[in-house]
Amino acid sequence: MGLIWFFVASAVMSILVVLLRNRIATLIITSAFALMQAGLSVYCWLNLGKTELGWFTFDSPGVLLLSALSVIIIPTVYHGFIYASSGDEKKFSIYHSAMIALITFMSGAYIANGMTVLWIFVEATTLAVAALIYHDRTEAALEATWKYVFICSTGIALAYLGVLFLGFIYGRADAASLTFEELAGIISRANPMYLKIAFLFVLVGFSTKMGLFPMHTVTIDAHSVAPPPVSALISTTLMNVGFLAIFRVYTLFSSTEIFNFMNNVLILAGLLSLLIAAGYMLKAKHLKRMLAYSSLENMGLVAIAIGTGGAGYYAALLLIVLHTFTKSSLFYQMGQLSRVLHTFRLDESGNYMKLYPAGSLVLLLGLVCILAIPPSGLFIAELMIFMGMVVDGQWIVLILSVILLCFVIYAMATRFMHINFSEPRNNAAPVPEKISLWEPVSQFVLLGIVVILCFWQPQALKDIINQTIAVLPG
Amino acid sequence: MVDLLIVLFVITVIYFASAERLSTYISLIALQGLLLFGIALFELKEISPGNLIFVAAETLIFKTILMPILLSRIVRNSGVTKVHRRAMPAFYILILSIFGLLISVILANALVNSKIDTFFMMAALFALFAGLLLIVTHRLIVSHLIGFMIIENAVFIFSLAVGNEMPMLINIGILLDIFVGVLILGFFGLRLKAHANELTLLRD
Repeated sequence: MGLIWFFVASAVMSILVVLLRNRIATLIITSAFALMQAGLSVYCWLNLGKTELGWFTFDSPGVLLLSALSVIIIPTVYHGFIYASSGDEKKFSIYHSAMIALITFMSGAYIANGMTVLWIFVEATTLAVAALIYHDRTEAALEATWKYVFICSTGIALAYLGVLFLGFIYGRADAASLTFEELAGIISRANPMYLKIAFLFVLVGFSTKMGLFPMHTVTIDAHSVAPPPVSALISTTLMNVGFLAIFRVYTLFSSTEIFNFMNNVLILAGLLSLLIAAGYMLKAKHLKRMLAYSSLENMGLVAIAIGTGGAGYYAALLLIVLHTFTKSSLFYQMGQLSRVLHTFRLDESGNYMKLYPAGSLVLLLGLVCILAIPPSGLFIAELMIFMGMVVDGQWIVLILSVILLCFVIYAMATRFMHINFSEPRNNAAPVPEKISLWEPVSQFVLLGIVVILCFWQPQALKDIINQTIAVLPG
Repeated sequence: MVDLLIVLFVITVIYFASAERLSTYISLIALQGLLLFGIALFELKEISPGNLIFVAAETLIFKTILMPILLSRIVRNSGVTKVHRRAMPAFYILILSIFGLLISVILANALVNSKIDTFFMMAALFALFAGLLLIVTHRLIVSHLIGFMIIENAVFIFSLAVGNEMPMLINIGILLDIFVGVLILGFFGLRLKAHANELTLLRD
């Protein structure tokens, strides 16, 4: 019965933060919420495989991604305090209330055991993210929020059609209890055409959250204006929500004759995502947009890995977890970078190593990690993906992926080096704010975890990934 | 009677393709809300009174009255009355719409299933196609909103295709309409820069 208390307490905390409008109270409530959410992960691990309230099951993929969220929740809340403290009481409380709501909705989406419940939580995340992107109340924030809500809503409507198609397969009388387990039992009797259409709707619809081509634009614009800790969540754990929705349907349909069709679609979507990411990163002028395109690139690789199958399944899940830690630490660093350089524009940035050496080190270590250069744990994941392609005989996909990744590496490396070591092109001389010594600590810890996972992966992590992929063919 | 209402609904969707005045678009959205109420009334015979009131409130109050009022306010704020300078010519959109209708008929017949009504599925697929077409071929924010509303109506018809035995899914569709529709129209739509009417601040 622990889950009901989590949802009730989260709702109470979110409302209290808005009603009290007191900074100290907000700090205490939000910190308590972060600890409670981490506690939920522990609770889920202890009750792995159990179902609660009829709508939630603590299964391995959900618990894995919920745990990844729990790892980054404390630094997200910490950097959120710092970012939002510059605003007035009203903005400060709305920010933290929406943050509590977003994390609660994401937690619910991870452990939902049916498409309908999962869809409701995904839709709810859109509303919470809208409040967070609109935090600065500028024209650009309004435009980004508008685009985010509009495209997400259209995408979610398409995903809803996918859910309805699943309902058609299931039958009519008790479609409300559309759990993944019940669907798995009858899926083999379904018309393949329905399955294909349902998969396409779900893929396109939930791509708005996963950030995959063709719905990638929604998150890119959001990153331009979103507070850095919010970007950290949109680019990692919220993408993981979209991934999980698609992955659950993929797993469900993997025993049917449309398995190869799904793989081909995923590989195509992945390659197109890589192409778009590489193209835009080469002409990127805004640092946060470039990081957003980097997320598109990583999600493209995840889609390709799932489509390739075999070792790709394990690699995809490992990549998802490691990308969560790496990208969130880079986005936290963006908060400090903006206070030192007062810009996210690349041509106005430079000399970061001189101005803020600790932040510069985070950027360099983050660059090594995100580009999957050893000793980054992402190196292991990407190596497994390429090995999977070789074993599967996907030579064209392999060659195209490698070429596109070379462009990504060039684009990111040259821009990060420019920020760290070059003079800014407009010769502006920023007056950096003083940054606390504690601020980059969480970023070093997260990147340290990514490096450690290159050499050693805990047995619990291996087990939960293996349990997740055990039902998939080959 | 239901079939007649669906035919009328499909005609309104085709009319969207040929119309150029935003006021016509808004009138068509209101009319579609009314038609959806009629379709729901005749189709959902076995639904509980509570659910029926919920569905009726959504179609009549929300789709027929509230949304057109909000859309009219946005159009008044923007000062733009026609779409022709900001969109593909209506003739081409009309041809694409007819093509979309043909594809919808073929696809709906290819998906014949004893559990669902093919006629509903055809109308829903066509409305979905028309909504997406409007979003892709037009550049005005209001046109995008109208496109979104048509997609929402497609989802509603799709929900009705499985009839009175899926009340929970229908209610979820209603929640989607209320939360998102009111949020994007009422809150953000009215705040967008009135004179520009296009989104251009965020570019690569």
